[in-house]
Amino acid sequence: MHAKTMSLACSLMACAIHALAMGHETADDFTLRGFGTLGLARSTADGAEFIRDLSQPHGIRGGRWSGRIDSILGLQANWHIDHDWEFVGQVVSRLHYDKSHNPELMWAFARWEPDPRLQIRMGRIGADFMMLADSRLVGYSFLPVRPPPDFFGPLFISHFTGLDVAVEAYLGQGLMRAKGFLGKTQEKVASASQVWDTSGSDLRGIVLDYQTGPWQLRGNFAEIRFSHDMEVGFLTTPLRIYGQMSGDSAALRAADSLAAKGKTTRYYALGAVYERNALRLQAMINFIRHETRIFQDSRAAFIQAGYRLGAMTPYVVLSRWKTFPAKDLQTLADPDLNAAYQAFIAYADVDRKTLSLGMRWDFHPQQALKVQWDWLRARPGSQFSFVHADPRWNGKTNILSLTYDFVF
Amino acid sequence: MRAALGAFLFSFVATVAQAELVVVTSPQTGIERLSREEVINIFLGRYRLLPVGITAEPLDLPIDHPARAQFYQRLVGKHLAEINAYWARLIFSGRTRPPRVVSDYAEAIRVVRERPGALAYLDASSTPPDLKVIFSFED
Repeated sequence: MHAKTMSLACSLMACAIHALAMGHETADDFTLRGFGTLGLARSTADGAEFIRDLSQPHGIRGGRWSGRIDSILGLQANWHIDHDWEFVGQVVSRLHYDKSHNPELMWAFARWEPDPRLQIRMGRIGADFMMLADSRLVGYSFLPVRPPPDFFGPLFISHFTGLDVAVEAYLGQGLMRAKGFLGKTQEKVASASQVWDTSGSDLRGIVLDYQTGPWQLRGNFAEIRFSHDMEVGFLTTPLRIYGQMSGDSAALRAADSLAAKGKTTRYYALGAVYERNALRLQAMINFIRHETRIFQDSRAAFIQAGYRLGAMTPYVVLSRWKTFPAKDLQTLADPDLNAAYQAFIAYADVDRKTLSLGMRWDFHPQQALKVQWDWLRARPGSQFSFVHADPRWNGKTNILSLTYDFVF
Repeated sequence: MRAALGAFLFSFVATVAQAELVVVTSPQTGIERLSREEVINIFLGRYRLLPVGITAEPLDLPIDHPARAQFYQRLVGKHLAEINAYWARLIFSGRTRPPRVVSDYAEAIRVVRERPGALAYLDASSTPPDLKVIFSFED
């Protein structure tokens, strides 16, 4: 195992043991809590690296055990100023775009709740894409080893700086929660062997949750307007030169289509959770629409079922992620340039599905062990969602994962 | 910690002597009854505005207190581990505060007496007559 991974693993263990020994509750107006995952995973494929989401610069491959994609440590401080005001700060160590595990400020916000029906948060806030939780990093809080990568893989935004406003009210037999959010992102992501700075991008959206009895239903819309282009000058420069010299306006339009700055991506999602006694069911579906042609529009869905048997919860997850090439792609007169442009567009192709079988063992009130086996099948050539993929890779891999999750 | 772990594992395989649990508040809170849905929403941090317009302040017993596991099992059919996972989702999202933890029934009774809006679950047999039972699983 990599030395850095070992170091992180030891840190996680030491922190967990210390926290458990110390107990987790301090004074009522100031609390320090934490969470973590010590994860090991191996992927059978030699031809590509499996990653948890598109923010990760490298993953796992070749049957070697690695802790890099799932190991996470987070610390959170909550300071209750008075009945209405609270400050929350959270720092997380996880695999970053630059291959480091440097601590990252995940949340830093003030929460004002003048009334139980109204909540306003200001500062660095979590981007709310999962049902019930803003964070996708707290392994103890969800059933599988990781949120299904087929669904959450393209959602690389974890937080933003701005505000969100949530209102709650009884509606019919259930409870309706509506939240609007607005802000700017700060993150950089590893994409196509380069680092893409998305900081300063405008993010906004709404989330509607309806809870009644064992059901929770969700509708979610978000849009982001990117602040920076990706480094695609190697293609856009020849396209522009060719377009200007030959008069082929399609080449200029093709170059424009590869801009990301000022372009908007829109995310739509629907979800449902059913939890009654030992049974837990969840399903979500999303649609992502891009104005830039660097990415392809996509649809994704997953369904997850778990049934608790004492301290053990066996579960199954079925997920799918598929992109669709744009219908308005330019066709260039120059065959070589056209081939290069089409190949670049095709690089963003994703067509994959995963069947996951796993078991969660809650052996302690705040700790759990999980084992999960993933049967992942991607269409050969659809390599965008993997890292360092060999074009000849057949798209098949099986992933075995073991995690120790804790909160304190 | 060892006691907590023992109680936790034991709760999976055995039924702890079942107390008759009720939810109580002070008469100063001004409410007569709560529905099961309202109690769920208050203790799970979803909606804490009481029908009389004041904020509910739910109280929890320690994690190794047998009544805690029994209360959530009867209220929402979930094991303590599932409740802890639920709260982990909310706490680490910075969304809401979990119920304040008191050390035992005696402290729960003291806080309920002192603070209008405070709600606690107690063994019906240990509920003092000056507190108001606003929810019972037996109803």
